[in-house]
Amino acid sequence: MDEVATKIIEILRKNMKDPSKTVTLETPLSDLEIESLDLAVIVFDIEDTFGIEIPYNANEEVEAFATVGSVVDRVKGIISESKASGAAA
Amino acid sequence: MVTGQGVVTPLGTGVDKFWAGMKRSACGIREVQSFDTNDLYITIAGEVPDFNPRERLQSKQLLLADKYSQYAGCAAQEAVAQSKLELPLEGDEGYRAACIIGSGVGGLTTLEFSYKMLFKENKRATHPLTLLKSIGSSASAHVSIEYGIKGPTFGVVSACSTATHSIGLVYRMIREGLIDMGIGGAAEASLNWGATRAWQAMRVLSPDGLWPFSKNRNGTVLAEGAGILVLEEYERAKARGAPILAELRGYGMTADAADMVNPSIDGASTAMQQALDDAELAPSDIDYVNAHGTATAVNDVNETRAIKHVFGSAANKLSISSTKSMHGHCLGAGGGIEAVAAIKAIEENYVPPTVGLDEPDPECDLDYTPNVGKERKINYAMSNSFAFGGLNAVLVFGPPPA
Repeated sequence: MDEVATKIIEILRKNMKDPSKTVTLETPLSDLEIESLDLAVIVFDIEDTFGIEIPYNANEEVEAFATVGSVVDRVKGIISESKASGAAA
Repeated sequence: MVTGQGVVTPLGTGVDKFWAGMKRSACGIREVQSFDTNDLYITIAGEVPDFNPRERLQSKQLLLADKYSQYAGCAAQEAVAQSKLELPLEGDEGYRAACIIGSGVGGLTTLEFSYKMLFKENKRATHPLTLLKSIGSSASAHVSIEYGIKGPTFGVVSACSTATHSIGLVYRMIREGLIDMGIGGAAEASLNWGATRAWQAMRVLSPDGLWPFSKNRNGTVLAEGAGILVLEEYERAKARGAPILAELRGYGMTADAADMVNPSIDGASTAMQQALDDAELAPSDIDYVNAHGTATAVNDVNETRAIKHVFGSAANKLSISSTKSMHGHCLGAGGGIEAVAAIKAIEENYVPPTVGLDEPDPECDLDYTPNVGKERKINYAMSNSFAFGGLNAVLVFGPPPA
């Protein structure tokens, strides 16, 4: 597992009721007993850790937050986008 | 008995402007004017468009107060003028009156400004009125000073149920014989950069608009204002020939004791049931429900289910609306403003609409009075407030006694 994935799983664990549970990239977020408010906290923590902004509205279903792996992919996507726009500027 | 009402809202200041706006399905939500929305992705809010404190307020003390106290002072002034009370109260009469005006967060904008001065501008001192302006009891104190109210005077805090709890408390104090009259309601003026940032981080705000019960709803929209009632014991009001606008018939309050953000059907429906029982009314007696209707994904479905749970088959005959679609989510002040909407609905036999409701959520399948208001005989109206933390308060209003 790469650095981004490791850091994200670390953030998820902080917000889990039972942090000793096994978490893989395939684990659905719903299995981690993460609710809407936890998700806002997790998104904040990820934004803060990676210095990015993640568009997320708790009122909408977000496919990118289905599994741990999809969150990692989304974050990687945003990191590379922000690098690209940074380079252009 | 309700003998006076006053509002400051994003649809305008004063009950007439507010009600006229709702009758034409106007919406007070727009791009923020009062602060810089740099770095925010939420750039809309329900700001009060026409509030000039110098025009509205006579008292110098109130002119120096935080905007939340000024809104309270302005709404209270309208309400007491309508009630035709002789003010300030003299002698012992003052001790038989209450002034309970709450706020979700009080003078937050004053605090934000003072912290900015200290931490960012490196000023050596804060303005000497910073503390008095920011405390959550300053609105009630200012209004008590204005009118010589010397009985129970304090602020109530329950987020978006604040005004409803405040009004309910004055009502109960009158019923218990502690006081003969009181001013109850709430004021909120917490629209600023920091607070918007904090709300934005919760991910519950809509960047586009507040569309309750709609399939397309995507969150709530912050707003500000004040909603205040004058309540009076019936015999006293009758004896002095006061204008009786409506009767406050019932009050219910519960807490979900479950979750800070996810509401429960049980807590909401028990509060409604308590208010009905207190009013000695059957569900089928209610004609209009002013819903909490915040346009968040969870509230509107939960509220719909709770209404069905309490009203049973009578739910299908109800006219419901969320007037937040027009004045925004005025937070602590919301229940006061919405109580006025419910009273006006009874007075004019008119149901204000839920605007922006073109395509209802299939799980929200009651009559929410989409887009345009309608005439309907309204005897009894219910006003719901369900706050973060699962704090629920419900009022039931009826016509003045014949």
